[in-house]
Amino acid sequence: MSAIDLTNIRVVYHTRKTGDRIALDNFSLNSDNEMLALLGPNGAGKSTLLNVISQTITPGSGSLNTPRSRQSLAVVFQTPALDELLTVRENLLVAGALHDLPKNETTTRIESIAAELGLADRLDDQIRRLSGGLARRADLARALIPHPTVLLLDEPTTGLDIDARRIFWETLDHTRARLEMTVLMATHITEEAEHADRVLMIRDGRTIKDGTPADLKSSLGQRIIRISLSNDAETAHASDWLSENSVEHITTNHLVIGHHADPSLATTCPVETAAITIAPPTLADVYTYYAQSPSCEPTTESLI
Amino acid sequence: MNGLRATNALTKRELIRQTRQPSRIIASVATPLLIWLFIVGGFSRSIGSVADSNASIGAYTIPGMASLTVMFASIFAAISLIQDRHDGVLRAALVSPAPRWSIAMSKISAGSILALIQALIVLLTLPFLGISITPMGIVGAIAGLACISIALIGLGLALAWMVDSTQGFHGVMNALLMPMWLTSGAVFPVEDSAGWLKIIALINPLTWTHTAIRASLGMDTGFSPTLAWTISIAFAIFGIALATFTISRTKQSKS
Repeated sequence: MSAIDLTNIRVVYHTRKTGDRIALDNFSLNSDNEMLALLGPNGAGKSTLLNVISQTITPGSGSLNTPRSRQSLAVVFQTPALDELLTVRENLLVAGALHDLPKNETTTRIESIAAELGLADRLDDQIRRLSGGLARRADLARALIPHPTVLLLDEPTTGLDIDARRIFWETLDHTRARLEMTVLMATHITEEAEHADRVLMIRDGRTIKDGTPADLKSSLGQRIIRISLSNDAETAHASDWLSENSVEHITTNHLVIGHHADPSLATTCPVETAAITIAPPTLADVYTYYAQSPSCEPTTESLI
Repeated sequence: MNGLRATNALTKRELIRQTRQPSRIIASVATPLLIWLFIVGGFSRSIGSVADSNASIGAYTIPGMASLTVMFASIFAAISLIQDRHDGVLRAALVSPAPRWSIAMSKISAGSILALIQALIVLLTLPFLGISITPMGIVGAIAGLACISIALIGLGLALAWMVDSTQGFHGVMNALLMPMWLTSGAVFPVEDSAGWLKIIALINPLTWTHTAIRASLGMDTGFSPTLAWTISIAFAIFGIALATFTISRTKQSKS
């Protein structure tokens, strides 16, 4: 049985002002012992999905099969879920108690996890005395105290500088190599999604593309052409030109992206003011392409 | 999982937090004492002693000031739930296997311990105001104040869970609690008050907790102490039940 198994989950938020808003629309997901990135813009349904898995929201319909998750599930939130007035050790002791671990067992785990995450000499510092990167590592330590089999990361590097991000990912990779964990990460940063074994692109609460980062990128060919323009007329002109050259493309916000592009196109574009790049596709290109592509309407089916 | 370990850990966490921000405790005690000084300084000459009571206005109002101290501490305890839920450790608690009632009980127990320590400081002024207090009297008064504390924190937690913003919470709590306190005989005896006010006082549970506290401290009261204790304990149980029920509910999507 998979660590995470969701079938046709539907979540609808209702407010008096805005009425009903569908956050997850018959969403299905199966994941086991992998790192899965949920990539999508704000409001796509990523956090709602994490809330459903962590059982803080009960879906309106659908089935949720995460038998081990409540006891051995942990979440790393956008900001550390730590008490700033408590020391790292005190916070970790609370985390152990929340999972009903005896104090001796928690103390042993604290020493080992702190050593692994480079926090051993900061255990008795209050969280408010730590840098953002160290606080984030302390938060990861908090999440690892119950030895989770499912780890949910909700935009885990928000607010961290480049070095702190790098250290966070190194730490997580190291931990994953040691523990058998299913990691589900919600993000809107495509560079972060590159860390994942598999990327699920979502929009409006539905899956629009699902695959490994390499597969997703190769689905647009070895090279894409990216044309940045300054107005609607130029955008339409560039789009017509790509159509004449049989290049499948999408247009969005004065940007045209075509896939399987021939490098010679760069010198023949008729729009003089266009900024043209021909390069291997990134996950950002893949997301932009499929989010706009009429041929890729959201589907509830996995595409791999 | 029985939740006791989580309750103890979260309670201890709350207490550690408070010891590391003493200004909050000082503010909770100082405000009622200043109000008391204002009332006693302004009215003691014109009122003298309270009718139907063996206490001066200064001594008579001390249980009310102790309950005001408890009320402020209870509001702080409930507000901390909103902050914890959005930015703090409660987010981890909510996704943990710990039962939700452990969150409510830890807030109630830690908040009550802190509130009672602060209220005890206020009560200890009584010997200086001509009221001799016995150990049993203090225990009784603390028990009465505990009923107020448990009930108000429970009420506050339920409200904080539903309102979800500190601004909204302040507004509702001020609109609800200050009138409750003022019409409960905290600063004047309600037994001889106007008919409509007396009716409000009689349905106000704080009136009965104040009666229970005064009876424990050996002050004359116009109501039955047994009835007062019964209502006070029921009020506390209501607070616990309301908080645990409200916090235990999981957000439910529309189908």
